[in-house]
Amino acid sequence: MRWAGPAALVVALLVPLVPAGGYQQYVVQVTTFVLINAAVALAWDIQARTGQLSLAPAAFFGLGAYAYTIAALRGVPLPVAFLLGPLVAGAVSLGLGVITLRLQGLYFAIATLAFAEVVKVVFKELPLDLTGGAVGLTAPPLLGGHQTGLYYLGLGVLLLVVAASLAVRHTRLHYAFTATRQGELTARVLGVRVVATKLLAFVLSAALTGLVGAYATSRLFFVIPEDTFGIGLSVTALATAIFGGVYTTAGPVLGAIILRSLEEGLRLVLREGYLAVYGVILMLVILYLPGGLVSLWNRRSRDAAGGD
Amino acid sequence: MLLAATSLSKRFGGVAAVRRLDFHLDAGEILAIIGPNGAGKTTVLNLLSGVFPSDEGRIVLDGVDITRLPAEDRCHLGLGRAFQVVQPFPEMTVRDNLMVGALFGSRQRSLAEARRRTDEVLALTGLADRAAMPARDLTLAWEKRVEMARAIATSPRVLLLDEVMAGLLPHEADEMLAVVRAVCETGVAVLFIEHVMRVVRDLADRVIVMDFGEKIAEGSYQDVTGHPRVIEAYLGTEDTNGA
Amino acid sequence: MDLMLQTLANALIQSGTYALASSGLALAVGVLHIVNFAHGEFLMVGAFVAYWLSVLAGIDPIVSLVPAGAVMFAASGVIYQAGIRRVLLGPELNALLLTFGIGITLQNLAVLAFGATPRVIHTAYQLTAVTLGPVSVGVAPLVTLVVSVTLLAGMYAVLYRTGVGKSIRAVAQNRTGAHLVGLDVDRIYLLTFGIASALAAIAGTMVLVRIGASPHMGFGFVLKAFAIIVMAGLGNLTGVLWASLVLATAEAFVRTYVPGGGGAAEAVFFLLIFFTLVWRSWRPA
Repeated sequence: MRWAGPAALVVALLVPLVPAGGYQQYVVQVTTFVLINAAVALAWDIQARTGQLSLAPAAFFGLGAYAYTIAALRGVPLPVAFLLGPLVAGAVSLGLGVITLRLQGLYFAIATLAFAEVVKVVFKELPLDLTGGAVGLTAPPLLGGHQTGLYYLGLGVLLLVVAASLAVRHTRLHYAFTATRQGELTARVLGVRVVATKLLAFVLSAALTGLVGAYATSRLFFVIPEDTFGIGLSVTALATAIFGGVYTTAGPVLGAIILRSLEEGLRLVLREGYLAVYGVILMLVILYLPGGLVSLWNRRSRDAAGGD
Repeated sequence: MLLAATSLSKRFGGVAAVRRLDFHLDAGEILAIIGPNGAGKTTVLNLLSGVFPSDEGRIVLDGVDITRLPAEDRCHLGLGRAFQVVQPFPEMTVRDNLMVGALFGSRQRSLAEARRRTDEVLALTGLADRAAMPARDLTLAWEKRVEMARAIATSPRVLLLDEVMAGLLPHEADEMLAVVRAVCETGVAVLFIEHVMRVVRDLADRVIVMDFGEKIAEGSYQDVTGHPRVIEAYLGTEDTNGA
Repeated sequence: MDLMLQTLANALIQSGTYALASSGLALAVGVLHIVNFAHGEFLMVGAFVAYWLSVLAGIDPIVSLVPAGAVMFAASGVIYQAGIRRVLLGPELNALLLTFGIGITLQNLAVLAFGATPRVIHTAYQLTAVTLGPVSVGVAPLVTLVVSVTLLAGMYAVLYRTGVGKSIRAVAQNRTGAHLVGLDVDRIYLLTFGIASALAAIAGTMVLVRIGASPHMGFGFVLKAFAIIVMAGLGNLTGVLWASLVLATAEAFVRTYVPGGGGAAEAVFFLLIFFTLVWRSWRPA
């Protein structure tokens, strides 16, 4: 399956050039959302490799989105504002991580869920002139709103997240992350700096998610607490990663391609409540195919050298 | 003295698991800790490797006070540990299990150096044939081998072993014994807990006996096995009034 | 002073509902050792069952607690058999993800079926209030408090004074040991999960009476229930009562005394959960 990655990349590069007549805009738009979902799912997966279930990706996505928007509206040059996204998300995650990473699995999940809700409520309650309150703000689009340029920027963002995911897999980080996940105490006794490892994963994941959030404002056009920080994105991220196959790079991307396309189709029929599909998929995968889609390939060719 | 513990104590609620324990281990020495169940032996190992902190006492490794150091740091300073209840990383192969120890156990090793070290240890412990197997597919005897090999991969100066012979058939125990001897020959000092007496007799330079959290005897195997208090601890006395 | 007494009275009433909702979760966590993220949605199901019975058949919501509990008991049985029992022995995260998925599915199915707007019912006694000294309490909330207390007392009675209760407690403490002495662990899990879910559904009917029903109502409740059981300590059932009181009191005071209190009250819980968890985790290892 080595050719799958490069092939997908070629396809992705060609999307805006495919002649689809009146549907051209629509195709590019859907593909952009696939890229966004894939990136967020991949970022979540990086952090999941240390065995922590974070239910807060939406919070970091939103923080990145708001950081960009608020900075851009105040006259900060757009490229700088864009970089503020991952910076703010990363900084907040560092603080959160230091406080919560000693919590065991379940408690950590609840803490991140609580945190995500706090962030949402806080942004709703902040004064209107600061963050737009419950009504939100309109985000100045990157690259002047140029559709094709924005698409390739999105592809660039995804490639960056892919690179991070691959780096985690092919460096010593793989061993540190996996050992932390499969036996924390044992890992510590073997010399792995478990807390630092978990923190690194958490911050890296949050910063990348914040980057995607900052980018996504150009596609979503405005930021508003209820939606931007809504749990929908967190659910989508983790369901996508798990459906495609956790702890892999191909899994979340594959999951996003399938699920987001499905979602677009569903949205034409159901305005709300399409999240039910994600819920069902999550349940089915956990029960019947915990390794996700990619495990179907791996059953045929065991990757002995890679472990996992 | 490579490793020295003074006045080590640990309570769990109302129970004193370890009471003012003193002992030392010299470089290249093999020291056994024996004693009835519940004597506090595993707790001592947990205190040494940093699984939890002691209430009192000091632990010094080659001149460095490690009493308040976290487990990871103790490993970096040369303390290796194999657990009694084996805990291999289940989804990883044998090789990858050892790689974790090789990569993080001592000074920063590069991936290449760690791979070399892993190959060394695989050969030393007879695991080379099983290197690509997922750890969860192993039988108990091989799991115990991996547990020990992983600790060895961290290049320890002191190796703490907890009942590595438990649950092994006689021929498996013999093989394990040969591996431990091979490790000792590389200059590693070993502190091991054991119930299988012939292993203690054949392997240990010196023996410590514990009961109710205290050291009740110390000396050669002959010395301690003839000691009246030791016999009493294991077998009880003849006249026990309703205890 | 009067305002404070009134606030305390409100807190007391509210704590009844919280205790009912959390006890179910505490039971599920304590016995099955999984956290049911869908607990809030079970509460929502109960609320909607009562709502439709009220709207379609004119049945009083308080009375509907019986069918609501029964429906959820049965539904939870199906959920347990089809899903929960298969993840009980695996990694903890799988159970979390599964129940999370169940919750999301139920929530959004409700949105699809009923729309997202909240539903309210109107009963005769909703507008009447009882005055006790300086404090005025609505009849409906008072009834919910009585119901909650009664049910909780009943649950304790079952757990601590019946054979079945003993079996449940045995399984909670030691699954293998219980199995070895001949208890059917699977049946007990099924039963306990059913009771826990039914309690959630009944709490839902109480919420319907006092506030209303909406597909998203479960989410806030499950977070509060978590806050309560974490504060009480996992597995500590009596602690749940105290923790419910504390949480309800904090909420009531914020609502009354903090200007613009509504949104801030929400943030209060989440922060409370957050800090309780963190505080518990920072105890020396």
